[in-house]
Amino acid sequence: MPEDNGNAQEKKGLSGLLDRPEIQALKEKVKGDVQAFKKPTKTDLFKSMFRVKHDETPRSRALGVLSNVFLHLHPAKVNRDAVAYNYTWGMGGITFYLFVVLTFTGALLMFYYHPSKIVAFRDILYLEHDVPFGKLLRNMHRWAAHLMIITVWLHMFRVYLTGSYKKPREFNWLVGVILLVLTLLLSFTGYLLPDDQLGFWAVTVGTSMARATPLLGHEGPFGPELGMTQFNDVRFALLGGSIVDSNALLRSYIWHCIAIPIIVSTFLVVHFWRVRKDGGISGPSPVVLEGEIKPERKI
Amino acid sequence: MDWAQIWEIAVTPDNVPITALLFLAPFYTWYGLRQAFANDRLIAQLEASPEMAKTHHRKVQAWKPGWAREVHTWPYLLRIEFLALLIVTAILMVWSITLDAPLEEPANPNLTMNPAKAPWYFLGLQEMLVYFDPWMAGVVLPTLIIVGLMAIPYIDANPLGAGYYTYRQRKWAIWTFLVGFLGLWVSMVIIGTFIRGPGWMWFWPGVTWDHDRLVFEANRDLPDLVGITSMAGKSIFGGFVSLLYVAGAGWAFHKLITRPGFNRKIYERMNILQYVTMQLLLILMLSLPMKMLAKLVFRIKYVWITPWFNI
Amino acid sequence: MPETPTPEPDPVVSSSLSRALLISALVVFLTLVWGIADETFFMRPWKRYQSRFVDKYTAHLKRLQPAQAQGEEGIHKTATYQKLAQQIEEAKKQAAPQRAAINKELNESIRPRLESLQVKYQEVRSHIAALTYELETAGGEGSKKSIRADIEEVRKERHDLDLVKADGSGGVERQEWDFAEMEREYDRLKQRRAELQTEVIRASAPVSALERQRDAYVKEQMTGLTREQIQGLLNKMDQFPSDIKQIHVRQIDLVDRCESCHLGTREPVELTKASLGEAVFAGHPTRDLLKIHNPERFGCSPCHNGNGVATTSVIKAHGYYKHWLWPLFKQENIEAGCQQCHVREIVTDHAETLNQGRELFRGRGCNGCHRFEGFDREPELLQAARQQMRQIEMERADAEREMARTFQKIDDPKTPLEEADRLKARADQIRVNANRMNERLEQLDVQASNLMREVKKIGPSLKEVRVKLRKEWIPVWIKDPHEFRQTTKMPTFRLSEEEIQAIAAFLWQSGVEGKLADHPMGNAGRGKELFETRGCLACHSVGEGDKLMGGTFAANLSRVGEKTNYQYLVRWVHNPRERTRPYCALEKKDLGPADYAKAGKPFRFDLANAVCPNDGYTLQVQQMTVMPSLRLTGEETRDIAAYLTTLKRPEASYAAAPYLDDPQLKQKGMSLARNYGCAGCHEIAGLEDEGRIGTELTKEGSKPIERLDFALFGHPAKNEGWYNHKGFFERKLKQPDFFDQGKVRTQLERLKMPNFHLAGPEINALTTFLLGSVESQLPETFHYRPEDQRRDIQEGWWIVRKYNCMGCHVLRANQPSVFMTLPRYQDPDWKEQLPPQLVGEGARVDPNWLVRFLANPALSESDTNRNGLRPYLKARMPTFTFSEGEVDKLVRFFMALSSQATPYIQPKLKLEQLSETERTMARQLFTSKGAPCLKCHATGNAAHDARATAPNFLAAKDRLKPGWTYRWMLDPARIAPGTSMPSELFRREGTRWVFNGPVPDSFKGYSKDHADLLVRYMFQFTPEEIRRLGGGVAGN
Repeated sequence: MPEDNGNAQEKKGLSGLLDRPEIQALKEKVKGDVQAFKKPTKTDLFKSMFRVKHDETPRSRALGVLSNVFLHLHPAKVNRDAVAYNYTWGMGGITFYLFVVLTFTGALLMFYYHPSKIVAFRDILYLEHDVPFGKLLRNMHRWAAHLMIITVWLHMFRVYLTGSYKKPREFNWLVGVILLVLTLLLSFTGYLLPDDQLGFWAVTVGTSMARATPLLGHEGPFGPELGMTQFNDVRFALLGGSIVDSNALLRSYIWHCIAIPIIVSTFLVVHFWRVRKDGGISGPSPVVLEGEIKPERKI
Repeated sequence: MDWAQIWEIAVTPDNVPITALLFLAPFYTWYGLRQAFANDRLIAQLEASPEMAKTHHRKVQAWKPGWAREVHTWPYLLRIEFLALLIVTAILMVWSITLDAPLEEPANPNLTMNPAKAPWYFLGLQEMLVYFDPWMAGVVLPTLIIVGLMAIPYIDANPLGAGYYTYRQRKWAIWTFLVGFLGLWVSMVIIGTFIRGPGWMWFWPGVTWDHDRLVFEANRDLPDLVGITSMAGKSIFGGFVSLLYVAGAGWAFHKLITRPGFNRKIYERMNILQYVTMQLLLILMLSLPMKMLAKLVFRIKYVWITPWFNI
Repeated sequence: MPETPTPEPDPVVSSSLSRALLISALVVFLTLVWGIADETFFMRPWKRYQSRFVDKYTAHLKRLQPAQAQGEEGIHKTATYQKLAQQIEEAKKQAAPQRAAINKELNESIRPRLESLQVKYQEVRSHIAALTYELETAGGEGSKKSIRADIEEVRKERHDLDLVKADGSGGVERQEWDFAEMEREYDRLKQRRAELQTEVIRASAPVSALERQRDAYVKEQMTGLTREQIQGLLNKMDQFPSDIKQIHVRQIDLVDRCESCHLGTREPVELTKASLGEAVFAGHPTRDLLKIHNPERFGCSPCHNGNGVATTSVIKAHGYYKHWLWPLFKQENIEAGCQQCHVREIVTDHAETLNQGRELFRGRGCNGCHRFEGFDREPELLQAARQQMRQIEMERADAEREMARTFQKIDDPKTPLEEADRLKARADQIRVNANRMNERLEQLDVQASNLMREVKKIGPSLKEVRVKLRKEWIPVWIKDPHEFRQTTKMPTFRLSEEEIQAIAAFLWQSGVEGKLADHPMGNAGRGKELFETRGCLACHSVGEGDKLMGGTFAANLSRVGEKTNYQYLVRWVHNPRERTRPYCALEKKDLGPADYAKAGKPFRFDLANAVCPNDGYTLQVQQMTVMPSLRLTGEETRDIAAYLTTLKRPEASYAAAPYLDDPQLKQKGMSLARNYGCAGCHEIAGLEDEGRIGTELTKEGSKPIERLDFALFGHPAKNEGWYNHKGFFERKLKQPDFFDQGKVRTQLERLKMPNFHLAGPEINALTTFLLGSVESQLPETFHYRPEDQRRDIQEGWWIVRKYNCMGCHVLRANQPSVFMTLPRYQDPDWKEQLPPQLVGEGARVDPNWLVRFLANPALSESDTNRNGLRPYLKARMPTFTFSEGEVDKLVRFFMALSSQATPYIQPKLKLEQLSETERTMARQLFTSKGAPCLKCHATGNAAHDARATAPNFLAAKDRLKPGWTYRWMLDPARIAPGTSMPSELFRREGTRWVFNGPVPDSFKGYSKDHADLLVRYMFQFTPEEIRRLGGGVAGN
């Protein structure tokens, strides 16, 4: 049976090839590498990225937070009850997340938008109908903005109800209030940008109040006495004109996209930093009884 | 009952957040107060039995000896944060897919929108315009609101209730805030959205927003009611009345604060400046509902008329 | 994991969030999927449309193919095609050998040799080029020299090449050439190749010519597409790219994506709802329009409106949502789109609805109350002119006074000499100025008098009521005109009884006094005949309901006898423009005999003497009616008047109305008349200078919807879906007081607009017109404002409409005149009694003649009671007393319609002089039995002309254009279908036309063109000639 013979010879040849030592060595190497890949956390690549190993030992858990640029805002350990939703409502975190979302979508929107009359409106139409995911993008930006305002309010509400503004967190509350105002301004400046009737009249109404600013508005108390006209008062400064026009559009664009975001981020940094420095999240801390009030120190 | 009208207002894209607020605000108020009352009950227990006060870990959250007082941020906090993040993302996505951001006619300065409304979160201010002159409603009051908020930690001398929900230990503070935030701000935003129709007229829910509607509103000024005509007379009289109000309100607040024993303690801890600032803010805050009352019920526009400003 | 084990596990650390996390992660993922689906599918409905279209269209084409193929077969069978095919074959055969030879040389010797040469050649050449560049840029002489040397070297260097032999054998030869040799050979080959290629083309020229001929033939025979074309379309469908089809007009940054769904719009195959089963894919119904307005330049939305950018949904794309200001025009109003750019026109081709709308707006007197740019301009111009005149008058008065003063000073002895001289100079200056003012005044007066001829009112003058009307009839009429006369233009005002009485009284009392000549009663029988044949029916109608006969342009006269007195009718029918009293616009009064007496002048006024005795300016001496004078004889007039008086209901009776003379009512009546804007349509004493009381409608279509007064209907309209301009207009037109419903208002506060009792189609037409009247978003360049002849056409139509020329004449092919609809003219014998068609009039007549004719259709000062050109017609071309401007416009209009060069220079002189023999020949032909010219054409001989049915030849000389006459004689039917002039009078014979029938012997051996001979004969006609022909001399 010649076929068998043929096979045999072949096998022989093949196995003979495989038996050669260098091949054996290669095999070992490959095995080794495959083994290595079974534990990705052991690879150099992974180590280089995360600097610490992620096993479940307390040390590496702490390091995981501390040595991570994004997470190190957090302390390594937190009050066991601070994770309870019924205390924090998570509103602060959500607000920050929304701010990130807004920055992201906003930046994308800027690619498709020219802050000038007529073109602006056309750009929105363009966004709605041409730009891939443009409509989604715009919707997201707007709704996230609205949502953010709500969450900011609720965050403030929570902080107040838990009395978290009390010593030593007075100043952070103050920063928080500033952030609240800035959030409102952000949303307001964004309102005009589509240059449609809605935005136009909203802003007209909004800014028309400014003309009544005491001393600084041409319709406010003592404004005229101080020589305020509609061409030099605070409203004019806001709009870059006596009416809501292309200048106003440009100004609100710059405030909306550059100035206020920068200011907000600055205060955000302060806000977070103070949270840490004031001893992390305020509670829930053990209740204090009326009897235990320390007599106040007299100045 | 014009259901079509109600529906139209409710689903106007920009009103959706307020519709949401309509449910969120009460919910979280309830949610917070529930915690507060839980804590209050605990406080009551502890005050009842000192020895328990010594041992108890003084939280409503469960705790057993041997449990760690602190847990690792990673993963115990982060996982929750991540969860929240996912949920918010989902909500946002669905919202954005199903509901389109509004885009109306191109801006046209010659064609006034009626009603021309500010963004919903400023509707409170716009509503105030009905009761005060722009310089007051648009500038002074907003500034005071902000300043007032900032001032809170510095005038609240109550050492209790820091870092936990409580009603019993902070009755005064809680009430002022609830009244200010929910009672005034949120409710005015809601009025501005759902009640104020064309011509910024008052339409009860379900009444058709008719652009041609005419209502008779004879707005009078307080001085006229008592028959003062001369400008000087008006200014003096108005000033007098305003002073009267300040004094009255101040006295009322003082009584309120000092009546219950606990609040008196707090009051004693306050220094003059704190007390005065608080009074001032409270009086101003109260002036809004007072003015609303005067306007809506008695149809009084101005109380104090001077050559430079009217209040 | 807790640090120290405890009896019970710590929920915070032991509880697992995995499930929650997993679920929410899934949810997020789902939303992402949803988002993508939404973006790629739900927001792209056009994708579905496109796939559907591809299927259906392919199927349709497949269905089409066999039929078309068959048709093609059929054509291939036709003799012509066969012949052509055969010719092509032959031509090919002929060309074949030559072409073969050429191709052989080209492919077997030239090309291969060239290829084998060029590689090396080009290499060397580029090397030299490079060196040359170095040489040019090299610095010192030394280096230059060395480079030159290199170049020389390269040129000299010999290369051995393997060249393909030139003899075409394909063999290879070895050459050793230097650059020069290579170059020589290379150029030679290339040149040769070029020669051969041109030769090929020349050789196959006849073939391709024939083929072109064949294809052309197939094309014209073929209805629809050939097989190849269809195949091509099918292929196109095969690899049809599913994407957004958009038109982008850069110039206005317009983007229209309509064709992403409306895919059939511009397909070569005629697509209909029936053929593809979906209206979306139907082709554009009027391709001609697309030819004029190429979508690539005009887009879609400029005409149709809608949101051209949108692609997400049908609603969005069509702009049928709240915040889109330019929603798509509905089918029935589609022509509103035309109005946006064709603002200047009253007649626009392809836009019948719109035209009807404009005509209604004009004809029903809408512009009496509502200003509309371009409609009824004359009053405003007149106003302006008069104001200027008054002002200049004042200035002149001042000047004169100053002059007087100056002269006093000069005469004053106390003035020093040099001062006096200065004053003299000053005086002269003033005199000159005053003179200039006079000139200007004269111009203005001329302008004004022209305008006074042009300015018309829709309704009759109410100054004439006393002389004209039956007193008791007035209140009845005012109460409800439609009650009395179904088809009247006069709308019904919603008046209270007192108002009616007051207005009637005011009108009655403000009417002018006047005495009418006393005419004997005419013969009503003859009157009827005349009434129906002279042309009255072109504008007027008689009979009511289904018995109604005649035109709707003017009043229905069925009951005229009840209201108007005979004497007035006589005057009116004889000359409608005749007034009882002339009106002086500067004094604002109707002049009576007294005024003339003061100036010591007789109380006579007409266009000839229209000067005001008081201020010397032109008076309004005509009624402001468009009704012309038919130049009837006194007798005819009386007969017609008599007939008209018989038109009444026997039982008609009117209650006495004594209050008409109550002076108390007059003032109230006047204020009411002013309030209701009566003066918009009528001339009323005391209200001559009333303005328009309605809102201007020029831009009504784009007025913000909020500004339209829906009154209490705003919300119902929103809920019922008619809260838009269309809805508003339609309801307002149907029931003008619609938006008064439910309002509590006093009589005077209520909406004033009266009810015109418009029919459905009329309402739609007007709505279309108004919807189109917008503040256009398009740049000026898109608007149709031609400055060439097309403008003349635009302007002409206004006049044609104004005077209802189309009542008698046919101006556009297959537009029937009112005359054609009259029962009498259905009878074939009456056909030739129809007024002449004016299609191609511009090509036919000499403009100068036309001017004369339009100014005076009698073409004669003495004998006016006749048609100047066609005495044989019973219908009469009336005298419209056009202003110069109008005549000019009309003439330019006709010239433009047949695109004639203006000004027209008569080529008469170019016509070759007629030799005596030729004249005799022509005469003989004219009189011969074979040529019946004189049977119909008038000759001026009364006896003959009684039977004549065609113009007199004498007129031809001045009236016609020779070129046209020639064409006309050859084939009249082609120029004016249905003319009674016989066709085929001539037959072609080689290069010339000869008379088609027995010719007089004198024609033997006459080699010239017969038709041409007759033309020349005609254009050199003389009265004697006519007499020779046995006619009398025509009065002319």
